[in-house]
Amino acid sequence: MAVFDTPQEAFGVLRPVCVQLTKVQTVENVERLQAQLQKVNAAALQELQEYVLFPLRFTLKTPGPKRERLVQSVVECIRSILSVTCVKKQDLLHELFSELCTCLSSPSGLKRPPPQSEEVKLTVIQALQALMHSAYGDILLSLYQPSTLPHLGFAVSLLLALAEQEKAKEIRTSALKCLQALLLHCDCQEYHRLLDKEESQRCGDLFASFLPGISITLSRMITGDIKQGHMITVSAIKLFYQTVGFIMADEQLRRFPEKKEKPRVEQSRIADLMVHRGPDWVQSTADKLSLLIHKIVESSSVHQHWKVRLELVELAHHLMLKSSQSLVASVGQLLKALVGLVNDDSPKVRSRSSEVLRSIAEQKVITENRALADVLSENLHSLATALPRLMTSQDDQGKLSTLNVLLGSLKLLGSKMNIVLNSTAHLHRLSKALMQVLELDVTDVKIVEERRQGELPASLQHGLQKGQAQKKYFRFFTDERIFPLLQQVCRVLGYYGNLYLLVDHFMGLYSESVAFRKQAALVLNELITGAAGLGLDVLHEREAAPSMDDLKGTITSILEEYTDQANWHLVTSTEEQEEANDKLAIPPSRLRALTEGAHSSSHVLSSAAALEPNPTIRSMNSNIWQLCIQLEGVGCFTHALGKEFRVLLMSALYPVLEKAGDSTLFISQTATGTMVDICQACGYGSVQQLISENTDYLVNGISLSLRRVAHQPHASRVLETMLRHSDASLFPLVKDVIQDVLFTLDQSYDSQAASFLRVLHSLMAALARWFVLARQNEQQQGAQTSPGTTQLPGAIPTAATTTGQDVERFFLDYVKQKQIAEGNLPDMEEEEVFPATAEEPQGNDTGAEGEASLPAHAQVAKDVMERCIHLLSDKSLRVRLKVLDVLELGVTVLHPHDNHLLPMAHRAWPALVTRLINDDPLAVLRAFKVLCTLAEKCGDFLRQRFSKDVLPKLAGSLSSQAPVSARAGPVYSHTLAFKLQLAVLQGLGPLCEKLDMGEGDLNRVAGTCLVYLSARQPMKLQEAARSVFLHLMHVDPDATWLLLNGVCCPHRYPPPHASLRPVQLSGMGRPRGELTDNVLHLLGELEQRERAMLWPRTQGAPEPHGPPPP
Amino acid sequence: MRTSPGRDVMQPVTAHVTGSWLPGRDRGARRSSSAVLACQEQPVECRAADPLPDQHHRSAGVTRPPGHRYFWMIATMALPPPDPEFVLRGTAAPVHTLHFSCRSQEPEFPILFSGSANGLVQIWNLKTHRVDKTLDGHGGKSVYWVETIRGRDELLSQGRDQKICLWDLAEGRSMVTDSVSMDSVGFCRCSLLKMAQDRWLIAMPADDPDEVQVLELPSKTSVCTLKPEAGAKLGMPMCLKLWQPGFGACPFLMAGYEDGSVILWNLSMGKMLSRLACHQEPVMSLDFDSEKAKGVSGSSEKVLSVWSLDEQQNLKVHKTHELINSGISDVTIRQDRKILATAGWDYRIRIFGWKKMKPLAVLDFHTATVHCVSFSDHSRPSERLLAAGSKDHRISIWSLYNQT
Repeated sequence: MAVFDTPQEAFGVLRPVCVQLTKVQTVENVERLQAQLQKVNAAALQELQEYVLFPLRFTLKTPGPKRERLVQSVVECIRSILSVTCVKKQDLLHELFSELCTCLSSPSGLKRPPPQSEEVKLTVIQALQALMHSAYGDILLSLYQPSTLPHLGFAVSLLLALAEQEKAKEIRTSALKCLQALLLHCDCQEYHRLLDKEESQRCGDLFASFLPGISITLSRMITGDIKQGHMITVSAIKLFYQTVGFIMADEQLRRFPEKKEKPRVEQSRIADLMVHRGPDWVQSTADKLSLLIHKIVESSSVHQHWKVRLELVELAHHLMLKSSQSLVASVGQLLKALVGLVNDDSPKVRSRSSEVLRSIAEQKVITENRALADVLSENLHSLATALPRLMTSQDDQGKLSTLNVLLGSLKLLGSKMNIVLNSTAHLHRLSKALMQVLELDVTDVKIVEERRQGELPASLQHGLQKGQAQKKYFRFFTDERIFPLLQQVCRVLGYYGNLYLLVDHFMGLYSESVAFRKQAALVLNELITGAAGLGLDVLHEREAAPSMDDLKGTITSILEEYTDQANWHLVTSTEEQEEANDKLAIPPSRLRALTEGAHSSSHVLSSAAALEPNPTIRSMNSNIWQLCIQLEGVGCFTHALGKEFRVLLMSALYPVLEKAGDSTLFISQTATGTMVDICQACGYGSVQQLISENTDYLVNGISLSLRRVAHQPHASRVLETMLRHSDASLFPLVKDVIQDVLFTLDQSYDSQAASFLRVLHSLMAALARWFVLARQNEQQQGAQTSPGTTQLPGAIPTAATTTGQDVERFFLDYVKQKQIAEGNLPDMEEEEVFPATAEEPQGNDTGAEGEASLPAHAQVAKDVMERCIHLLSDKSLRVRLKVLDVLELGVTVLHPHDNHLLPMAHRAWPALVTRLINDDPLAVLRAFKVLCTLAEKCGDFLRQRFSKDVLPKLAGSLSSQAPVSARAGPVYSHTLAFKLQLAVLQGLGPLCEKLDMGEGDLNRVAGTCLVYLSARQPMKLQEAARSVFLHLMHVDPDATWLLLNGVCCPHRYPPPHASLRPVQLSGMGRPRGELTDNVLHLLGELEQRERAMLWPRTQGAPEPHGPPPP
Repeated sequence: MRTSPGRDVMQPVTAHVTGSWLPGRDRGARRSSSAVLACQEQPVECRAADPLPDQHHRSAGVTRPPGHRYFWMIATMALPPPDPEFVLRGTAAPVHTLHFSCRSQEPEFPILFSGSANGLVQIWNLKTHRVDKTLDGHGGKSVYWVETIRGRDELLSQGRDQKICLWDLAEGRSMVTDSVSMDSVGFCRCSLLKMAQDRWLIAMPADDPDEVQVLELPSKTSVCTLKPEAGAKLGMPMCLKLWQPGFGACPFLMAGYEDGSVILWNLSMGKMLSRLACHQEPVMSLDFDSEKAKGVSGSSEKVLSVWSLDEQQNLKVHKTHELINSGISDVTIRQDRKILATAGWDYRIRIFGWKKMKPLAVLDFHTATVHCVSFSDHSRPSERLLAAGSKDHRISIWSLYNQT
C-alpha cells in the first residue's frame, strides 16, 4: 500500500474523503476516511490533524438523533487519529474532551449507566484514553484547572459509573484504565510527563473533590461480587491506593497552608466545589478512609486469587510509604494485612509482603514514628487480650492470620517492644494469652502406656540424628502451622525483648502453678532460642545481643529450676507410684503441689502427708509432657550456647541421662534426642563420646546420689544409660562407681533391690556385650577360615560308593556300640570321677592364684553374682525374675574363667533348684533358661546335680502335662503352661548334649518326650520334642534309633547274609498311630545323618574284630 | 624395712614401731564401730551415721538435689552431714597431699594441687572439676607434700624419691627449675614459712634420722640443724610446722616425733624450748594456731591431743579428745581458726570446733583411709572448701560451715 509521506500528498488523498464526509455523514464515508488514514504517515497526519478531525467532530456535533453505528465509527476514527498524533492545542483538547464525554451522556443523569450500546461505550472510553495520551504534557495540565473542574467531575463520575455498573468486563477494565489516565496515574508503557511538586499539589487539590466519590465507588467494587473476576478488583485496588496515596500524601499535606486562598469572585461557584485540604479535612477524610480501608483489607486479604492479595500488599506498601502520617489510623489495619500475608499460601505474595515489611522496618517508619509505635503497641495489647478468645472461637485459618498479625507487629516493633513489655499490664496480658493458647492436650493414654523395651535401635546408639521434638497436641488448635508461629512469636520476643525481664516473668509463671508450668517452659525454651538469634528471621537486627555470659547465667538459672527435684522427679507411671507408696521414700510429686501451689520448701513438711493415692492418667500425661518440654529445653539451651555449654554439662548431663533411662518411652526418646542435640551443639561426634568424655561428671553424680535413698533409683538409671550407650572403654571409668552400687545394694537389700537389679542387669548385659560377644566374634572370624580347609577331606569320601567292606565295618561298629549300650563296657570309672571334680574347684575357691589372674570385668561379674545368689530367694516375684536374668548374663560373662564360674555355679545351685522345682511358673521358665545357659557353659559339672535334683521333677511335670496339652484347644498356646512345656522341651535337647548325660537319664528324657511326638500335641510342642530327639541322636544315635524303631518301624531289615537271623523290632508291623509321622520323620533324619557320618568313621577307625555275634 | 617402697606411706611406720596397729579391719566392723562412735562420741550425730535414716532425714535429703549446697549452722545440729560438693576422680593412685590455690581473681579459676602415690602432681581446675595439667617429676615415687610459692607460679613438691622439686608454672610452663635432695627416708612432710618477699624457710627431715634441717629458699643455704640431745630417744621427726609469733619475729618449729612427743624448737638458737609427750604412739600430724598459742596433734592411737604454749614457752596438754577409731593421718585448722578437720584411718573426716573441740560432723564418704585434709584459701569465706584425699583414689570436696 502506498504511504503518503508529505502533508501535500496526504492532503490530496484525504481531502475528497473529508469533503464527502462533511456532506453526507454515513458510516461508509467514515470508513472510507478511516481507510485513507491508514495510508497516511503519522508525521503527515500530525499536520493535517485538525483538518481531518473537523468532519468527524462535525458529525458528532450535528444536532438530532444519530445512529449509534455512526457514532461508534466516528469515535473509532477519532481514536485512531489521536493514537498517532499529538494534541498541541489547549482548545482542541478541551473541546475534544467535552465532545467525547457528551457522547455517553444520558438524559437520565449519572445515576444509571448511559443507554448506548456497549460497543459505543467501549470506543468512547478508548478514544478518551487516547486523548489523554496524545495531549502534550503542558497542554494536558491545562485541563486540570479549577475552571475545568465540572468537566473533569463529569468525566470521572461517568467513568466510575461505567466501571461499576457495566456488565462487560472489557468496558469496566478500560473505564478503570481511563480513569487512571485521567487522574494522571497511568501505568502504561508510554511516556508521561512527571509532575513537579507545585503541579502535583495543584492536581491534588483538584482531585480532592472527587475523593469521596472515587474512594467509595472503588471500595464498593473491591468488596463486591467475587464473580466479577480478579482483574477488575486488582485494577480497582490499584486505582484506589494511587488516588488515595496521591491526595493524602504526607508530603503535600505537610506543605498545605493553613489559610484558604481567596478565590477569585467570578469563579466562586467553582471555588465552592474546591476542597481545602486543611487539618480538619484531613482528619475527617482519614477517618472515613480508614473505614473503607478496613473493608478493603477485610475482603481482599482472604480473596481467593493471589493477585488480589499481592495488590493488597502493594496497597499497604504504597499507603504506608506515602501517607503514613495522614492515615495513621489505618496503619494498624495495613500492617495487619501485611503481616497477615507474610505467611500466605502463594510464594509471590509471601516474598513480596516480607520484602515490603522489611523495607518498612528498614526505613524506620515505625521506630521513629512515635504515633505508629503507639498504635502498634495498642494493637498488640488488644490482640493479646483477644487472643485467647480468638483461639477458641476462630477456625484454623483465622487463628493463623491472627497469630501472623501478632508476630508481624512484634517484628515491626523490634526493640521498641521493650516499652510495651515494661508495662506490667501489657506483659501480663501477653503472657497469659500465650499460656492459654499453648495449653497442651493431655488426654492421650498412649503416652503414658508406652514403655521402653530393652535396647534402643542401633541407629540411635551410634549415629547422630537430629533430635526431633516430640509432636505436641494442643487443646485449642490442631493445625500444624500454628505451633511454629507461636514458637516464632516467642523467639522474636526473646530476640528483641529484655531477656532478664521476660525470663523472670515466665519463671514466675512456671513456679506459680502447675497449670502454667508446661506452657511457661515451652515459652522459656523459645525465648532462649530467640535470644541466641537462632531459628528466626527478623526484619532488622537488634541493637545489642545479650552477651554469652548473660545468656549462660540465664540458662543456668533456668536449668537449675528445671532439674530441681520437684520439677524433675515427677510421677509418670503407675509402677513408680506403687514403688513410691511401698517405700514412702520418694518425695511427693508436683501433683500435690498442684493443689498446694506451694514451692519446694513446703515439701519437706508434707512429705509424710497423704500421697495422692492414684494419680490420674491425665496428670501422669501432663507430667510426661512437662519432662519432655524441659528436656527439649535442655536441647534448645545447648544450641543457644554451643560449645560453651560444656561447662554446664557438669550439672545438666546427669539429669538428661537419668531421663534417657526412664521407662516411659516418650521420655526416654526425648532425652535421647536431647543427648543428640548436646552432641551436635558441643561438638561431640557421638553419644558415646559425649558420655565417655564426661564420665567423671556422671560418676560423681551417681556416687553422690547413691548416698541418698531417694536418689538411688535415679542414679541406677543414669548408670544404666551410660552402660547402654558406651563400649568397653567406659568400664575402667565406672568400675569405681559399680563398687559403690554394690556396696549400697548390700546395705538395702529389702528396699532397693528392684531398682538396683535393673542396673545390674544392664551392667551384666554390657559386660557380656563388650567382653564376651566381642571376643566370640573375633574367634568366629578366626575360625571361619579353618573349617573350610578341614571340611575338604571329609567331603571326598561321601562321593565314594558304598562297598561291602564298608557295610561290614559299619556293622562291627554298630555291634560295639550296642555292647556299650547294654552296659558291657565299664563306664563306671568315669562316673566316679565326676563328683570328685565337682568338689575340687570348691577347694580351690579361695586359692589366691585364681583371683589374681581374674580380669576386672569378670571380678565385677562375680561380685554381682554373689549378690544374685542372695536375692534368688527374694519374696517378690519381679525381683526373682530379674535376678535370674542377671544370673544368666553373669554366667555368660564369667564363662571364660572356669575356676570362678564353677564354684559360683555350685553356690547358686540350691537356690536355682528351688526356683526350678518350687516356684511360680514364670520363675520356673526363667530359671530353666538360666539352667540351659549354665549347662552350656559349665558342661558336665552339673550333670549329677541335674539328674538328681531337677530331671525327675521336670520329667514328671512334662509327663503330667502331656495329656492336658494333647487335649487342649488353640487357646492353649497362649497359656503359661504351654510356654513352660515348650521351653523345657526346647531346652532339654541341648541340656542332654552339653551335660553329657548318662544312659539312664537319656532314657528317661527320651521316654518323657516320646509322648510329645504325638500328632495330637500342638505343632510347636511336636517340633520341640523332635528337636530333643535330634539332640539325643547326637549323644547316642543307636539307642535313639532303637527306641524310635520300638515305636514304629517302617522297614524290614533283611539280613545281609543268610546265616544271620532276621532282625525283629517291636515296632515292626504296627498300625499307623499318633506317633508314626514324627517317628518316621526322625528316623529319616537319623538315616541321613548316619550316612553322612558313616564315611569318615569307617575311614578313620578300621575295626580289627572278627565275625559279628549271632 | 621402713622404706619398703610398695607400702602405705603412713601406716607401716606405726605398725613397725608400736605393733599395736591392727590390719585387716573389714567393712562390717567399721560400720558397727561407727554406730558406737556416733552414740558415744557425738550424740547429736546419731542420725548422721545411721544407715537407715528416719523420716526427717529422708525428707530433708530428698528435697535437695545432689549438687545443692548445704548451709547449715552449728546451731542446727539435727541435720544429717552433707554430701561432698563434688568428688574428683582420676588420680589412679592413693592421694597423699592436697593444696588449694583459690585466691586469684577472675578470669583465673580456683585450682587444687594433688600429689599421689604414683608420683604425679595433678592440677585440678575447680571450675570444670577436671585435671588441667599433670606434673611428673618424682620418677613414679609417691608425692606427699606440695606447696605453692609466689602465688601459683611456683610449686614445691616433695616426693619419696628423696627430692624436693621446685616447679615453674608461670605462663603455662611446667618444668622443674630446681631441686633439693634429702637423705631422709621417712614420711615426714616439709613445712614452709614465708619470711619476707622472695625469702622462705623450709623445714625438712635431715640426713640423720632424728634431725631436722632448716633451709632458706631460694638460696638453699642451711639455716640450722635441729639435733635433739643425746639419749633423748625421740625417733624420727614425723611432722613439722614452722611458725612465727608475728611477722618479722623469730621463727619457731613445732615437730612431732616418733615417740609421741611434740617439741618446740627455737630456730635462731637452734635449741629445744619445750618437749611434751602427749601421745603414746608416733605423732602423725599436727597443726598450730599461733594466735591462740594452741596446737593440736593426732597420732595412730585413738586420741586427739590439744596442747597450748604458755608465756614461758612451755608446752602443756590443754585437752585430749577421745576418738572411737584409732589413727589420724592428718589434722588441719582452717585459716580463720574456727574449725579443724582430721583425716582418719577409719575412712572418715571429722570436723571439730577449734575453740572447745566440739565435735561437729563426721563426714563419711571414702572407702579407704583418708590421707590428707586441706582447707581452701578462697578470699570470700562463703566459697571456702574442704578437700580430702584418700587411699581410694578419690578427692572429696566439701562445702561446710561457710556461714560462720
